Amino acid sequence: MDFKLTEEQELIRKNMREFCEKYVDPIAAEIDEQARFPKEVFEKLGAGDWMGIPVPTKYGGAGSSYLTHIVAVEELSRSCAASGFTLSIHVGIVEMLLLLYGTEDQKQKYLPPLARGEELGAFVLTEPGAGTDVMAAQTEITRDGDDYVINGTKTFTSNGPNAGVYIVFGWTDKSAGRKGMSAFIVPKGTPGMRVGEHFQKMGIRASQTSEMIFENCRIPKDNLLGKEGDGLAIAMTGLDHGRIGIAAQSVGILQAALDESIKYSKQRIQFGAPISRNQAIAWMIADMATDLAAARFLTYHAAWLKDEGKPFSREASMAKLFAAEAAMKHTIKAVQIQGGYGYCKGAKVERLMRDAKITEIYEGTSEAQRMVISGSLLR
Amino acid sequence: MLHIIACCKWVIDEVYIKRGRGEEIDFSSVDWKISDYDRHALEEAVRIKDSLGGKVTVLTVGAENAVKGMKDMLSRGADEGCLIKDESFARLDPAVTADIIAHAVKSRLSPYDLIFFGDGSSDLYARQVGPRVAAKLGISCLTGVRKIAFKDGYVEAERSLEREIEIVQAPLPVAITVLPEINTPRIPGVKDTLLASRKPVLNLSSCDFPDYTVPAVRTVAIKAVRLDRGCVFFENNAGGISSLVEELKKKGILS
Repeated sequence: MDFKLTEEQELIRKNMREFCEKYVDPIAAEIDEQARFPKEVFEKLGAGDWMGIPVPTKYGGAGSSYLTHIVAVEELSRSCAASGFTLSIHVGIVEMLLLLYGTEDQKQKYLPPLARGEELGAFVLTEPGAGTDVMAAQTEITRDGDDYVINGTKTFTSNGPNAGVYIVFGWTDKSAGRKGMSAFIVPKGTPGMRVGEHFQKMGIRASQTSEMIFENCRIPKDNLLGKEGDGLAIAMTGLDHGRIGIAAQSVGILQAALDESIKYSKQRIQFGAPISRNQAIAWMIADMATDLAAARFLTYHAAWLKDEGKPFSREASMAKLFAAEAAMKHTIKAVQIQGGYGYCKGAKVERLMRDAKITEIYEGTSEAQRMVISGSLLR
Repeated sequence: MLHIIACCKWVIDEVYIKRGRGEEIDFSSVDWKISDYDRHALEEAVRIKDSLGGKVTVLTVGAENAVKGMKDMLSRGADEGCLIKDESFARLDPAVTADIIAHAVKSRLSPYDLIFFGDGSSDLYARQVGPRVAAKLGISCLTGVRKIAFKDGYVEAERSLEREIEIVQAPLPVAITVLPEINTPRIPGVKDTLLASRKPVLNLSSCDFPDYTVPAVRTVAIKAVRLDRGCVFFENNAGGISSLVEELKKKGILS
């Protein structure tokens, strides 16, 4: 066994940390408060090749591993979980799906601007009546000569208002059941596609989320991703990759909660001594650090399996389930440790607690992860 | 074509140093970094290369773990590396470090035009290696430099002195020690880091330095300093102020 990151991965992590200290930490509270997407941060991330780490260099990426990308998501999330999530969707779902299912032409056309951070990717699957139950989707995509025409309303689209490349799912043949859904690449500005309502969220507020509305949105057949009927499989593959990213985001949140808890409990004096001397506080920190280590190993292991070309769907779900629930549990404790100060705006732990909640919900709720894990064991 | 050498030291990142029991210092979980001022030295070398053309060689002297340091240094825009490592080089004094660097520059890296150093290292801050190397090589040395410009065949530098800015000129080749305000070092991108290990590195060890002498300065111990607070309180009135002044005089802080 080898639990080491490579020297390059360690240096890349340090560089991301320095990047965050310089460009992200100073604005993280403000962009959360204003629900502002930090375009300037992503332009800089693009220039530093952070927006396409596992994309081969011939498509404009850095040509490194998925694990390296995961380390970057973790470190970015430690400063701003919303930005970590934006990076995760962009690389882990959109770029990975183009790499895995795109034709050579599609890869050459769409990957370089994504990898350079000039365009942002969005994954357009969820509908008002179709969350965990993907098959309940209503969006219809009909063939018309050399084109397809999309009609439907999607909801909770992350990066919806800011993306340049959308991967959109819908029925091309509802009668074919699980083989009836297809995926399409829709560039921004395509007539018939528009951004609908913006959602005001509890956490990850610097990642913008909206409805996406499709009214007779016409796209050429060349924009079909994979084959007709591959949609559901493509969506599930995207989520498998994305879940490792959400696990990494949760690990970043947990690390930040631990950092804040150690710092505060050693400084805060009550009854004449730092509160870290109280066993009640010290044990919260011990549990936090232990779950953090476990979550990190599960996450890196899932990413390692992916890089080794081995099946990783179950391990991705395990990592996401464990890391998300640990992040929620311990950010509540981190607020508890800081008491009234932790409950007020301006305390980082207050933001961490709000940000942590979504990790148990999106890209498959904790309940959906348990379905995946048990399903793979009880088949 | 300019050949610019930047000298960087791979040092313990002080944020990881913890206080142990009593006077002990806990180095058990430290990470390492490029000495802070040396990052500015390397950055300046790369900026000059980018504007005037040429080649940057980054040089470091250290123990085995300097291999990782060399990757970090090469990811910051240098073209080639010169890695001088040996387990016996873990704790050199500035005089021996300067001997080693001067010998390597003379025998392996010549001809050269500029040698950059940080003003002092993050760990020892002895500020000796730059001037000592220059003396060994018989070239001029400009210290405490905050700005550099090139004229015909010579370099013009602004030196930050205690009360004034001195503008000096020197012919090439020249050694320069830089202050942090000279530039803002880059944060390497992912590709910069990944490509670093493909750059050529000249590896040298103690056997390449036949005249190598054991450092005259030996570190016997490193102890934590305890700052004891006096906790003397003074009244907020004229009498309090004069007794504060008396107290500071007694301690030699005021004269």
